[in-house]
Amino acid sequence: EEVGQNDSVRPLDRVEARNFPPRWGTQKNLIGESDDDLDISTPETERNHVHAVYDAIATQWHHTRGKRGVLWPGATRFLQQLPKGSIVADVGCGDGKYFPAIWEEGSYVIGTDISEPLLQTSIGACASADPANVGPQNRQVSSSKTGLNARPAVAVADCMHIPLRSKSCDAAICIAVMHHLSTSPRRIRCLQELSRVVKKGGMINIQAWALEQEQGSRRKFAGTDVFVPFNAQPRYLDKVQTESKQSAKPDDNGCKGAAEMYSDAYDGAEYDERKGLVVFQRYCHMYKEGELENLVSKIDSLEIVDSGFE
Amino acid sequence: MRLLTHNYLQSTVKGTEKGYPLKIEATTIEYEESPFDAEFVRSLIPKIDYSTVLIGIQQISDKLEESNNIQGITIPDLPESIENEDLQEDLLKKLHTVLFDIHVVEGDLVCPDTGRRFNIKKGIPNMILHADEI
Repeated sequence: EEVGQNDSVRPLDRVEARNFPPRWGTQKNLIGESDDDLDISTPETERNHVHAVYDAIATQWHHTRGKRGVLWPGATRFLQQLPKGSIVADVGCGDGKYFPAIWEEGSYVIGTDISEPLLQTSIGACASADPANVGPQNRQVSSSKTGLNARPAVAVADCMHIPLRSKSCDAAICIAVMHHLSTSPRRIRCLQELSRVVKKGGMINIQAWALEQEQGSRRKFAGTDVFVPFNAQPRYLDKVQTESKQSAKPDDNGCKGAAEMYSDAYDGAEYDERKGLVVFQRYCHMYKEGELENLVSKIDSLEIVDSGFE
Repeated sequence: MRLLTHNYLQSTVKGTEKGYPLKIEATTIEYEESPFDAEFVRSLIPKIDYSTVLIGIQQISDKLEESNNIQGITIPDLPESIENEDLQEDLLKKLHTVLFDIHVVEGDLVCPDTGRRFNIKKGIPNMILHADEI
């Protein structure tokens, strides 16, 4: 996450997934999590460092990922291969950045996400396709899809219980979700739910952070389970109303209360006075090579068609 | 929430046998005309549960009648079955209106097995379960 990001939309002619993966992280102890094989209830780590964080940063997230059309690799390719008229489940859809690709391919997407604020940003998110529009192409919808863009089909839901009929979808995508699940039972449950809602023979695309990065890459993760900082600009955070919000740095009279204010309003978030940013820690589990495949292989109804690293 | 979406939603509360279809209790209904794509509608027809569409439209109609249909929303007449129907443009247009253009903006979805209510706010149903419902 770059310090000093602005929210203007830059045209992107290439998807650069490598631009935004976490560059660092600190190994944290996750002791205290239940070992119960069947326990899929929400652990505190995820409640505080996934759910609450996305709720808080939703607007900035949408501006810096969604609006700029920064998509995970291969997702568009996968979606473009689906037959017209497909019903697609987008589990963990966030701000709906994959919706335009699905609509433009003549299919219908129902998105679910745990974060209601993030879902709200999907409403009317895309611009109308227009040669004069300098925004990213994958954030534009053609005129026949404006109705879908104005009111996307979304529901607030936990991926542990996808609120869709069994076998009702032709395909599903689950992108950048699995790495926010902190226990094996929850990861397996997510896969089971994906399998349940998709018809027999339907395709599912799952993507998550890999532990191993390219050789020579300066990306190194401290361990398999890390906290990845997200630097939020105070102007995007609506919980704290303060006169000093425009200039988040302390002034001569001392906004010394700011650090406390933000930390109170957003449980556990830290105020970086020097940068004038509120730092949230997002929990991420980085998958070792073969780990995701191994999980999928535990589910009889799922068969790996293709897997890899990008 | 449009009726096309409602067609796929189910309740997953502990104790549900089927949790489908969810009963629509709308408090705010909106109509917004959207571009009609005949081929798109045609391609979706094999994917929908048509009886659920009819039930849903009835529940919405009842509510409109109750509130004297202030907005003057016209619900097209639909046949009892579309199985052997000739899918002419006329019928496809009606289906388009019913599936895409009528929106439950505020209200509740009610689980048919448990009676559990899921709230719809700004057109977005909230299907998050409480800890004791899992």
